[in-house]
Amino acid sequence: MAAAEVRLVTERLREHPEDSWTLERARATGGYEAARRAISEFSPDDTIELVKNAGLRGRGGAGFPTGMKWSFVPKDVFPKYVVINHDEGEPCTFKDRELAESDPHAVIEGIITAAWANQANKAFIYCRGEFALGSRRLDAAIKEAYGAGYLGSGIFGTKFDLDIILHRGAGAYICGEESALLDSLEGYRGQPRLRPPFPAVKGLYGQPTVINNTETIATLPWIVNNGVDEYKKHGTEKSPGTKMFSVSGHVMSPANYEVPLGTSLKDILELAGGMRKGGTPKAVIPGGASSPLLVDVDIAMDFDTLKEAGTMLGSGAITFLEEGTCMVRNALVTLEFFEHESCGKCTPCREGTWWAVKVLERIEHGEGRQEDMDLLLDISDGIDGRSFCPLGDAASWALRSNVKLFRDEFEQHVALQACPFEGEHRTLVGARR
Amino acid sequence: MSVLTAELRSEADAIVAKYPNSRSAVLPLLFLVQSVEGYVTDEGMREVADILELTPAQVLGAASFYTMLKKKDQGMYLISVCRNIACTHLGGRELLNTFEDLLQIKAGETTPDGRFSLEAAECLATCDGAPSLQVNYEDFYRVTPEKARDLISRLERDESLASERGELVKDAKTISREVARAGVRIPHGEVEDLRTIGGEGPRVDAATGFRPKERGYKREGDDGGS
Repeated sequence: MAAAEVRLVTERLREHPEDSWTLERARATGGYEAARRAISEFSPDDTIELVKNAGLRGRGGAGFPTGMKWSFVPKDVFPKYVVINHDEGEPCTFKDRELAESDPHAVIEGIITAAWANQANKAFIYCRGEFALGSRRLDAAIKEAYGAGYLGSGIFGTKFDLDIILHRGAGAYICGEESALLDSLEGYRGQPRLRPPFPAVKGLYGQPTVINNTETIATLPWIVNNGVDEYKKHGTEKSPGTKMFSVSGHVMSPANYEVPLGTSLKDILELAGGMRKGGTPKAVIPGGASSPLLVDVDIAMDFDTLKEAGTMLGSGAITFLEEGTCMVRNALVTLEFFEHESCGKCTPCREGTWWAVKVLERIEHGEGRQEDMDLLLDISDGIDGRSFCPLGDAASWALRSNVKLFRDEFEQHVALQACPFEGEHRTLVGARR
Repeated sequence: MSVLTAELRSEADAIVAKYPNSRSAVLPLLFLVQSVEGYVTDEGMREVADILELTPAQVLGAASFYTMLKKKDQGMYLISVCRNIACTHLGGRELLNTFEDLLQIKAGETTPDGRFSLEAAECLATCDGAPSLQVNYEDFYRVTPEKARDLISRLERDESLASERGELVKDAKTISREVARAGVRIPHGEVEDLRTIGGEGPRVDAATGFRPKERGYKREGDDGGS
């Protein structure tokens, strides 16, 4: 059977690419019906139950059940806040960017639903600083929503007030980590906080705070409109619904594809038109730079199957790498990223990523030593589990997986004292900033 | 003389008013400084500290953490070439070298005429268009050496340049002002609506043919004269 997309979240933006971001189009395609319905027909607790029963899991990377996250928010403490994590920075992920650029009203409608469920009167969108068009579209859409009475005081003619505050980041991957995001939003350096207390209890300005990813939020209107049973018809038992996968690398048609969770990686590759040179990939990064590599495309893409396979679904960013790709180069690029983005708070992450880059550079540049592969694995062990937030862990997993799966290739670099690959796959140039 | 004019001070007030806690306005106010100075100057940081009742060190602490807040003079056009995974595997590093050759500067530097700055950027979330880059945060996809040359020559002649998504490239200070003003409802005298959608933003005016130095863009060490 040929692979096909199932568009719950991306229907409007795929069907109406000419004006999917306008209020007019949103209204003509059922926009804001869900928000109106949630506020006028459901109690806040009913709304939380609905999302819990739908089994929606966070689309930012951790896959934590959204309804459960909401249920940790204390009922009797005010004010509460809803914060949207639109600081998409996990390498190879570009789904939230497309959602906000092309369907900002779905994001706003989701925010209204989440704010109602959690009884928050203020919501913040933490928009990645580099997203110029996305920020313009969100800003314009928020303006439109205020004008239509969907935001402000007494929205939809009820007694519920909601303000959305758009906030731009300023360039820091770590601010996609939710507690670092809160510090950044409060005007500090974006460094992670010790937990507990969790943001649900003490978050923004020390108040109960719900933090959700953009895609998670944009999924809510569909669930409200169609109900739990319809939603659960898609995906697997433990990973219900659909997911936007950002497909990149050496494929024919890199893009976002929305498919049910549990769709096989092979089918997703087929949707993306296959490898540009045909055949099968040499390696796949299945869930963003933080996720360990896969070499087999015969696997179901859902949270639990990938966990069992020793990797993770992460943000749903799939990068296919073709035969001939230098995996030392791949490891080096990946670790350069983590080294640059380490916030510097924890020694193992700050120093470990720096040393890993040094060692990978000398291997790639033909100065590797016999003991370097074990040294890299040792550095990886030295970071894993020894840092405050998942950035360090992610760096260690990516490093370990590249070395373990392609150790022969690393050894070949050392034996030859050169990179064995040709042309565009060869030694890095202009790597340092 | 202060960095923020009376007009910008009232804009700063509108930005502070967005937040339940004024300290949250640190980043947007620093972008406001950058919209005047081209980068976050010591004087500008002191003014932000003054507005928010923080110490200059607290402001510097925040400013120094973020890559979009620049610590030295910048060119009129910041070219950010992605050096991350998907782009590198599709020629991103070579593209960065192409720009270094075209502009005769290294990543992290600014051309002597103050027109271009070049940087290696982390993933810009445009991996579907690898190798990709941004010019003052507008996106360009599948950039070949020819496209790179065309892009530079257009910007050198102050021609208007539209991004992959149809957005016109604006100069760096204008964009800093836009970032500062995100989500701000300015009650009076909205001079220009920077939040236009669909690619009809204010254009870099080709007719006036302005020189970077006249717009206050200079390289570190320059005396500022043109």
